[in-house]
Amino acid sequence: MMLLKLITWPYVRKHLLRCTLTTAGIVLGVAVFVAMHTANQSVLYAFNRTVDRIAGRTQLQVSAGEAGFPEEVLEKVQSLPDVEVAVPVIEATVQTGIPGMGNLLVVGVDMTGDRSLRDYELETADETIVDDPLVFIAQPDSIIVSRQFCDKTGLKLNDRLTMQTMAGPRQFTIRGVMSAGGLASAFGGSLAIMDIYAAQMVFGRGRRFDRIDLAVREGVRVEEARQRIQAALGPGLQVEPPTSRGAQFEAMARVYSMTANITSVFALFIGLFLIYNTFSIAVTQRRAEIGILRALGAPRSLIRNLFLAESALAGLFGSLLGIVLGVAMARGVAGYIGEYFGEVYGVGEKAEEVAADPRLLGLALLIGVATSVFAGWLPARNAARVDPVKALQKGRVQVISEGENRLRRLVAVAMLAGAVGCVFLSSHPFFFYLGYMLSVLAVLLLTPTLCTLLTRWLRPALKWLRPVEGALAADSLLQAPRRTSGTVAALALSVALVIGLGGISRASYSTIGAWVKTSLNPDFFITGSETITQRSFRFPESFADDVARVEGIEEVQPVRSTRILYKGTPVMLVAADVEKIARRVRARIVDGDRESMYARTARGEGVIISDNFSLLRRVKRGDVIELAAPNGLLRLPVLGIVVDYSDQQGTILMSRDLFKRYWGDDTVNAMRVYAKPGVDRAALRQKLLETFGSRTRLFVMTNEELRAYIMKLTDQWFGLTYVQIVVAVLVAILGIVNTLTVSITDRKRELGVLQAVGALRNQVRHTIWMEAAAIALLGLVIGFALGAVHLYYILDVAKRDVAGLRLEYLYPYGIAAVLLPVLLGSALFSAFGPAEGAVRMSLVEALEYE
Amino acid sequence: MIRLIDVVKEFDCKRKVRALDGINLSIDRGEMVALVGPSGSGKSTLLNLIGTLDRPTSGEIWLDGQNLSGLTDDELTRIRRDKIGFIFQFFNLLPSLTCVENVALPLHLRGWKKAQARARAEELLELVGLKHRLEHLPDELSGGERQRVAIARALSVYPPILLADEPTGNLDSKTGAEILDLIRDLHERLGATVLMVTHDAGVAASCERTITLRDGRLAGDEVRAARR
Repeated sequence: MMLLKLITWPYVRKHLLRCTLTTAGIVLGVAVFVAMHTANQSVLYAFNRTVDRIAGRTQLQVSAGEAGFPEEVLEKVQSLPDVEVAVPVIEATVQTGIPGMGNLLVVGVDMTGDRSLRDYELETADETIVDDPLVFIAQPDSIIVSRQFCDKTGLKLNDRLTMQTMAGPRQFTIRGVMSAGGLASAFGGSLAIMDIYAAQMVFGRGRRFDRIDLAVREGVRVEEARQRIQAALGPGLQVEPPTSRGAQFEAMARVYSMTANITSVFALFIGLFLIYNTFSIAVTQRRAEIGILRALGAPRSLIRNLFLAESALAGLFGSLLGIVLGVAMARGVAGYIGEYFGEVYGVGEKAEEVAADPRLLGLALLIGVATSVFAGWLPARNAARVDPVKALQKGRVQVISEGENRLRRLVAVAMLAGAVGCVFLSSHPFFFYLGYMLSVLAVLLLTPTLCTLLTRWLRPALKWLRPVEGALAADSLLQAPRRTSGTVAALALSVALVIGLGGISRASYSTIGAWVKTSLNPDFFITGSETITQRSFRFPESFADDVARVEGIEEVQPVRSTRILYKGTPVMLVAADVEKIARRVRARIVDGDRESMYARTARGEGVIISDNFSLLRRVKRGDVIELAAPNGLLRLPVLGIVVDYSDQQGTILMSRDLFKRYWGDDTVNAMRVYAKPGVDRAALRQKLLETFGSRTRLFVMTNEELRAYIMKLTDQWFGLTYVQIVVAVLVAILGIVNTLTVSITDRKRELGVLQAVGALRNQVRHTIWMEAAAIALLGLVIGFALGAVHLYYILDVAKRDVAGLRLEYLYPYGIAAVLLPVLLGSALFSAFGPAEGAVRMSLVEALEYE
Repeated sequence: MIRLIDVVKEFDCKRKVRALDGINLSIDRGEMVALVGPSGSGKSTLLNLIGTLDRPTSGEIWLDGQNLSGLTDDELTRIRRDKIGFIFQFFNLLPSLTCVENVALPLHLRGWKKAQARARAEELLELVGLKHRLEHLPDELSGGERQRVAIARALSVYPPILLADEPTGNLDSKTGAEILDLIRDLHERLGATVLMVTHDAGVAASCERTITLRDGRLAGDEVRAARR
């Protein structure tokens, strides 16, 4: 401890900027890790809190995924001996259209029984109505809202609110305001309660409920009751405690965590190299200090431990800074993820507060410190091996590196061979990830060798540009390959990360674009909700016939899509007229015979699954999948696999007749509409809106609008990816600044000698600039190559573990072309400070510098 | 050749330190001068000022008829490059360059062609007796050999002024004597003006003139026949 104070602290104080830059990689790595996970957790926490608050005293919930079930199920549940109270619920999010308000969660409940499970805590109410449930029911326009909703909208008790319902526009009267806190604070306070039968009308549920909330009789153990109720209801309905909904939500959020983890690992790896580089140089610079300590009796272990303690402190400092930055970033990311989930899954959750999990922060701290200590290990060992006699002899400073290391090259080649071997065994996840790791490590270990080779090639070009300075810059890199290889490796990692993210983004856009073109070809899409992904509002089946009768319409394909649970994970079930779709859509078939698979699926003999469903759930053609439906367990063979990106968790396509039979649900939530050839589409759209707009809530989206919406979702999905790209580029730039700063300090005497023997200021400046540019170029070249490998693996990770997306390998040349000037420019910009420092330093001091 | 008029040099530490206090001095072309004095007397500071590595706080320094006051850094560098050769106590060779590369470095900085610079460097290394060490790194040489390389580098452009800061201070006495002989030999053959900082009375005695500094002031200036 005393040594840290006496030896380390003065050094840190003297080199504050450099020490801060050194920790940059750790700061950003930890920040990305904390930000993404905290944001995910916060959104999840907000979701769970909403579930919890709405659940009230609910102990178990009966549901059939998102699809709902007929009213009769309620009677059956209520009659079960374990059930004390069971009430129906309809839950849907509605866009308010009020600026800054976002979505409103509308919960439809049966007021007669619901207050035994939920406490509404009304602060103001038309008591004659709300206190008497029968009166509330008798007034189907009654609505209760939260205090926060009133504050945000300026509405008050007895005010009227117009809502577009499936039965046309309806006015609702605010008959109660719930006080803040408790139930009213669910969904960030954007909550409204209405009578369940009114909700059925508003959302077009027919005679169906979304779920049943229940409490078990006193003295009965909840888990035992759950099992008995489940047995009584059969496998088609799920009986779970309210908390299980959080687990399903978590499965959807997992994709973001996975990509965040890859970026964090890369950033930490970059940090590792920056720390290694800086500590290696620090050991060289502090040789005299080490020599004195050794001469005064300090054992080797003490010197090693001193440097390890320093690296641990650097890691601790960087991690703490990263945690603070990460938590700050988490707020923005949480809002972003919440919004995205709202768009894609229809379960958007506003994370009002960012809740950082102490265990996550502890883990981040541990990772940051461990990375730093690992990076400091080799320099610490070298410090312990310093010969005190040599170290104390003035003028015997050694260069940082003696050059190449044959053993390292051999290990790298062995790793490369191992990585190639793993490619052949990559069907097994262990070998796949081992190959990924080995290939990255091999390239990193080969970096000094590659630096030397590339610099030799680069030397003539640099010399051609500036004969003296170019040669000096190239020689400086050639003579101490290990001094710069740490930074080149860090830079290459950053570039590889950017290439990987850019590549996956390019491939996704290309693949999704192609799918949109082939599969989403109707002229119009009619929905009850503002977007195709929201399914809160449903049309009766007959509505499709009404639309089909409109002049100018050639064909209408009613679609009912709903999220159901497949082996505990929410996946998308699409029920449609399969034959009609097959005639219109030439979806890319991954496995199966086009003619027979559509025909058989239309007859209800099986299902067609999406490629990502197949990859993520490990289901092949011919496998039999089990789907729990309210009217019984469905066992159906997979007849074909097609490319379909409707849902990130995977899609099952089945015939609508089969769905109606097993789910007892004939509603539709979207219609694919084809116009007759030659019909004016704009006029037809207007006609549809005029004909049905007053009758029902509906949105008519043109093909172009839907495509634009899907591309907007893709943009949103990659929005955070671009943030990660910016972080990676930032780390790369910091790496260059760091290296140049430490490199100039390390070479203070060398640069002094250069000027003492006649180098002009501009010659020194140009030398440093060219060296910086050369470092950037080396990092870019190695990074482009490593990026190609990284992209290969990351595409496979996306396919097998993240989204089941079979993406084409498309190298992001555009991004590479942008990176080239950005990093070269950054390198030159970063070099200005160190170059000016070098030419302005005192030559006398520089020549005496050890 | 070298003229100093009322030269003062102060360093801004916690307390202002006056390292040189009104030095007036003149050294003629072709002289070989020893600069002696106790530690901290200002010898190296004076050498650095004459060598244009540093600037005086006040006073004038003239080299070869040119006043150094008011010159820019690049102008000073050009003077250093063309007129001054440095020999340091700790050699100050670049550890990553071979002997021949170290010697050729000042020539490259002047824009010489590679072959031309190499030929001159080889010639100089032969002159200092190191023809067999051309491709060696400084780390592979003895102290005396390193100093020979440093001398060869200092002579690369045959400068009229050779400044040496304790050139034998880091060497054993036998090697020190050899280096001294070499410097004297070069001085006689090339006719360069040599100014040498030394603690060694023997080294000082071998010069034709000895200037003594004490507490930043000129304390003695003795001219005599040099002892070989």
